[in-house]
Amino acid sequence: MNGKRSLLHDFTKGFIEENATFRMVIGMCPTLAITTSVVNGFWMGVAVIFVLTVSNVLVSALRKQTPDEIRIPVFVILIAAPVVIVELVMKAYMPAMYATMGVFVPLIVVNCIIIARSEAFAYRNPVLNSLMDGLGIGGGYTINLVVIGGIREFLGTGQIVFGSRAFPAKPFFEPAAVMLTPPGGFVTLGLLMTILNIVIQRSEQKKAAREAAATAHD
Amino acid sequence: MGEKLLITSSPHLKGPNSVRGIMLEVIFSLVPASIAAVVLFGFHALLVLLASVASAVASEAIFQKAVKREVTVGDFSAVITGMLLALSLPPGVPLFVPVIGSAFAIMIAKQIFGGLGTNFVNPALAGRAFVMAAWTMHMTADWISPFAFDAASGATPLGLLKETGQAPGLSIADLLIGNRLGSMGETCIAALLLGGAYLIVRGIIDWRIPAGFLGILFVGTWIFGKSGAYFQGDGLTAILLGGAVLGGFFMATDYVTSPVTAKGRLYMGMGAGFVTLLIRLWGSYPEGVTYGILLMNLATPLIDRFVVPKYYGYMHDVALRKKARAGGR
Amino acid sequence: MVNLRRGSGGVKAPDRKEFSARVRIEDAGIPSELVLFLSQHTGAPSKALVKVGDLVKRGQKIADAQGPVSAALHAPTSGKVKSIEPRYQPVQARMVEAIVIEPDGQGEAVPGMAPLASGLDGVSKEQIVGLAREMGLVGLGGAAFPAAVKLSPPPGALIDTYLLNGAECEPYLTADQRLMEEEASAVIFGFRALMKGAGVQKGIVCIEDNKPGAIAAMKDAISPFKELDMAVMPSRYPRGGEKQLIEIVLGREVPPPPGLPLNVGVIVSNAGTAHALAKAILTGLPLVERVVSVTGEGVARPANFRTLIGTPVSYLIEKAGGFTGTPGKVIMGGPMMGTALRDLDVPVLKGTSGIVVLAKEQAKADPVLPCLRCGKCVDACPMRLLPVWIAAYAENGYLDEAEKFRAMDCMECGACAYSCPSRRPLVQSIRLAKARIAERRRAAAAAR
Repeated sequence: MNGKRSLLHDFTKGFIEENATFRMVIGMCPTLAITTSVVNGFWMGVAVIFVLTVSNVLVSALRKQTPDEIRIPVFVILIAAPVVIVELVMKAYMPAMYATMGVFVPLIVVNCIIIARSEAFAYRNPVLNSLMDGLGIGGGYTINLVVIGGIREFLGTGQIVFGSRAFPAKPFFEPAAVMLTPPGGFVTLGLLMTILNIVIQRSEQKKAAREAAATAHD
Repeated sequence: MGEKLLITSSPHLKGPNSVRGIMLEVIFSLVPASIAAVVLFGFHALLVLLASVASAVASEAIFQKAVKREVTVGDFSAVITGMLLALSLPPGVPLFVPVIGSAFAIMIAKQIFGGLGTNFVNPALAGRAFVMAAWTMHMTADWISPFAFDAASGATPLGLLKETGQAPGLSIADLLIGNRLGSMGETCIAALLLGGAYLIVRGIIDWRIPAGFLGILFVGTWIFGKSGAYFQGDGLTAILLGGAVLGGFFMATDYVTSPVTAKGRLYMGMGAGFVTLLIRLWGSYPEGVTYGILLMNLATPLIDRFVVPKYYGYMHDVALRKKARAGGR
Repeated sequence: MVNLRRGSGGVKAPDRKEFSARVRIEDAGIPSELVLFLSQHTGAPSKALVKVGDLVKRGQKIADAQGPVSAALHAPTSGKVKSIEPRYQPVQARMVEAIVIEPDGQGEAVPGMAPLASGLDGVSKEQIVGLAREMGLVGLGGAAFPAAVKLSPPPGALIDTYLLNGAECEPYLTADQRLMEEEASAVIFGFRALMKGAGVQKGIVCIEDNKPGAIAAMKDAISPFKELDMAVMPSRYPRGGEKQLIEIVLGREVPPPPGLPLNVGVIVSNAGTAHALAKAILTGLPLVERVVSVTGEGVARPANFRTLIGTPVSYLIEKAGGFTGTPGKVIMGGPMMGTALRDLDVPVLKGTSGIVVLAKEQAKADPVLPCLRCGKCVDACPMRLLPVWIAAYAENGYLDEAEKFRAMDCMECGACAYSCPSRRPLVQSIRLAKARIAERRRAAAAAR
């Protein structure tokens, strides 16, 4: 097994193949709650990348020393540490965003994504791979949040707001408030999941067809 | 004789029922209410109706083409969804409301789950619930004065009832003709009853659903309707106001989302009436028909699971079981 | 007149009896070949008594009953035994050993054929049961159950009522109707003989209200007999099934399979069966012929033929004027429960009450649409089952659930499929499930 390729793969798989939200369907609570706007989604994603990567590295580094029976509480401690760091940093440098995100920042501790990756990957893989996994899954997750947030914010308020600037300046249609509510979130999520899965399925079918044609020639 | 004969399993005779036939009859039964809507509320109501139907049919065709399935708009079920959604909207809504509502109803509440026969709730009501949540202002204020065709702000009679505890003085004649503010198709009770009676006589809908629905609403309002006193509520007005008749005869009776047994259908109607009653009397909305029916749609598989007819000869098995139990002692 | 109770389910189908309801019974004549299956009744096949080359006379016994539940077979006309070979039996849908007779056209009766008695006082209970067995009498309503067995209920079974089934609820068929209208006294004589043979005191003649001529004739025929009454029921399919008849006339329900009408104190026999017994007693003729309605939009001259058992269907259709245009389906039996034939040279069986020819446009199969869960099949089912779920489970291979929803109780009457707006083949799916469940049960029993 080519070590270098595996590292790159560990990074890229988090974006499509093992997309946290649409393929593995983990970490759904904050996904639905925070994606009422793009910026909220983006900063949550950044927080998750940080926490996921740090915790993955720590768990992986300590994996040989961690007894199997108490591994979950150990994970939680190793996850809680970077979460506290994120909390304090946000409180200090982005108080408005911290206030908006509210309880979902400390809740990153119990975000399924992070504990799932600790258990399923970091506990069983070397540090460098776990680092790439954290970056990849976290990166993919951030993109998910931004996309969902973008759709919901745009359809729900008519514009996407970045700090003091809004695109478009004035909504050109009557926004549907339901998109900002949980039903709107679920519908958006469901539709995006459908589309991604259809795309993956069709590309796999094409790959299988190509391989079948190749073996038929032999 | 060298004829080519067709061989199939029995029975070899086909009954008179067909999906398209049933759909056409339902459309036919909705015509009086549609005409009433246009007569009462003017040209814009007609546009809403047309936009809703067009969007429903187009959405179905587009979706089915996109997922490479057979396009089945010819069975007219999308037309009915479009009509029902339109009739449940305030007559003055901007046209994007029925368009998006129908698209949601067809694509999300029906086609994504597998098309005809697989929707898990009434598609028209799902569409209505969606637009209600999306554009609440339009759905609660875009009324039109009947016969005057002016935009009317203010509350519907049910809304007034909720806010002030008093229903505006409307004669039974007013209520039957539809001389009040309300959704396009819900006001003209006479037209709705005509259509509903037609469907019952033709054996297309089961009378037990509207009977259970309106019955519970009537009795419940009569008993609990007046705050502070019992058995003094105005049950009759309760069923003539709001979307109860429209919902009870045309929405709750959707085949796919109602039970398959007669008794089950009665329970479903009663359940929907009960939830509607709860929302109207003690919930925060003035009208509860949409959610009452939607909730009972969700309960239908449960009803089907437990309400099972007693099969022919069951009493013998019951006797055998009793004997076995008695013998065991 | 008996007061009726409420019946379950059923559908109102146009009875289409007008094609042959007023056509008098006529003799079909003698075809060039008669094929007599050794198994055309419920129970063990009969054993051939003749061999190839033998000359036989009309009414001569050519096969004997094997075991308690079986029936004898007789030659319908005089001729020579051409062969004894397997032929395709359309109702059992497999090859069955058959005695093939080449008639000589003379119709010579077997010597010694004579009436047993001229009135019921001349025959005893035991003689009637013995005659039923000797004369190869089976139920002519379709299931062809050996009459002698039906007349001998197990000891301890108290039968208080005998029902004569003159309902003939299948559309198009008019064989029983014409028999009752033209030979009511013979039918009633046979009915009283059946009652005597079974030792039952009370008898009720059951007729649907779409047969006014038969009702009038039968009413006259029963008037001298105080132990006989009549029940006239609104025509509805499938009220003529014995279970449905018992429900609506007596308000009782037969227990689920393996329950039988005798479990609720009733025996039911077809009007044609009574007539055949009457003929056996009064003329000594065994069961060698029966009335067959050849009818439908697809035949030129619908008729009710007194047909020799074993007559090819093609012969009867020719006698009925041949096809009008291109035929769509030729059905042996009624259109709701009968078998669509692929080959018209198959013979008429003891249980064949009609041949229905549907025109091409009628027979066309409609495209199958998704189930709407409309519940019309549930409303239609006379056994009060849930065809919608049984068929759905059957189609998806869930045999356990299909069995739990009582697939085995289904009588395959077709009312559910008839009422389905999506034209789903409900009976076909349920039949498949029943076959698989039965197979599974057999395998489980064999393993024990």
